[in-house]
Amino acid sequence: MSHRLFFGRLPRLFLVSLLLAGSTAQTFAANLKLEAKLIWGTNDEKSPNPDHKEVDPATKEKLRKVFKWKNYFAVNRVTKPVPSRSSNRFELSKDCIIEIKELEGPKVEVKLIGKGKEVHKTTLTIDKGQSVVYSGDDKNQSAWFVIITELSEK
Amino acid sequence: MNLEQQLKLQAWVDGELPDGEARQMSDLAAADESARALVGELRIAKTILAGNEPEVKFPESPDFFWSKIRREIERAEKVPAEAPRVSWMHAWRRMLAPLSGVALVAFLTVVSLSLYQRGEIDDGMKYLVEVENLSEDVGSISYKSQSENMFVVYLYDKDQETEKETELEPMDDSIFQ
Repeated sequence: MSHRLFFGRLPRLFLVSLLLAGSTAQTFAANLKLEAKLIWGTNDEKSPNPDHKEVDPATKEKLRKVFKWKNYFAVNRVTKPVPSRSSNRFELSKDCIIEIKELEGPKVEVKLIGKGKEVHKTTLTIDKGQSVVYSGDDKNQSAWFVIITELSEK
Repeated sequence: MNLEQQLKLQAWVDGELPDGEARQMSDLAAADESARALVGELRIAKTILAGNEPEVKFPESPDFFWSKIRREIERAEKVPAEAPRVSWMHAWRRMLAPLSGVALVAFLTVVSLSLYQRGEIDDGMKYLVEVENLSEDVGSISYKSQSENMFVVYLYDKDQETEKETELEPMDDSIFQ
């Protein structure tokens, strides 16, 4: 390598490395695409609300392995992006809102808001395929569930 | 008469042959007409060259000539070699190049170290989950189902828990509605 090329290329190499490192650091900031589903669980065969659709067999089987209820009905489903270091609200019903914030790590802060009041907050890492489930008992031996999952495509 | 004999005749004319060969050439020149003619031409040429060779003489004495050369060499040695002019841009780049190299190495070291340490921290912190009840009326139980890869937060009404300790009851105002 000639002297001229050496002195000309090294500063340029430094700048390129700087840009490369910057882009590497940027990869730690994750833009998430999340899905939040509101589900009702019951031992009854059918939901009294005709708008409720039974969940897909895979979800049903998964929930059956963890919870005691036999049947699960989808009430609402919201899919939204959560940009890096930002938050987004998933309004699942009039009284049930999930607020999700992307944090450094990358982690997410999941906040459950019920009837306008902040009820609970969980901060964790959501891996691919992992679900975060909020649940609570409902009337007549039934239960409600909010299932949050990260979708593959971003 | 062959070429070798012609060359020997020339050497004989120049007086360069030993006695035995000189006699042979002398006999040859006496006996052979062509040899005699060649010897005659060679002698004429030798005479002409010897009489007209230019003589080169130094215009000055040899001692003076060599002393001039010595003085010139000594003068050249005393004059310091003139440094080539360097532009400020070139000088700046010469200084910047090694600095950039050092900075690059330092930067990459810091980045790789931070990535390495970050990986270690991430591995440890990855499974750390923070849960916080934001309402005084609501309690929570959280657990992870490894088999279903599911982190579950179960919420219940605290008031009803105290009333009925044996069984957790649904929240009064269900958020499901």
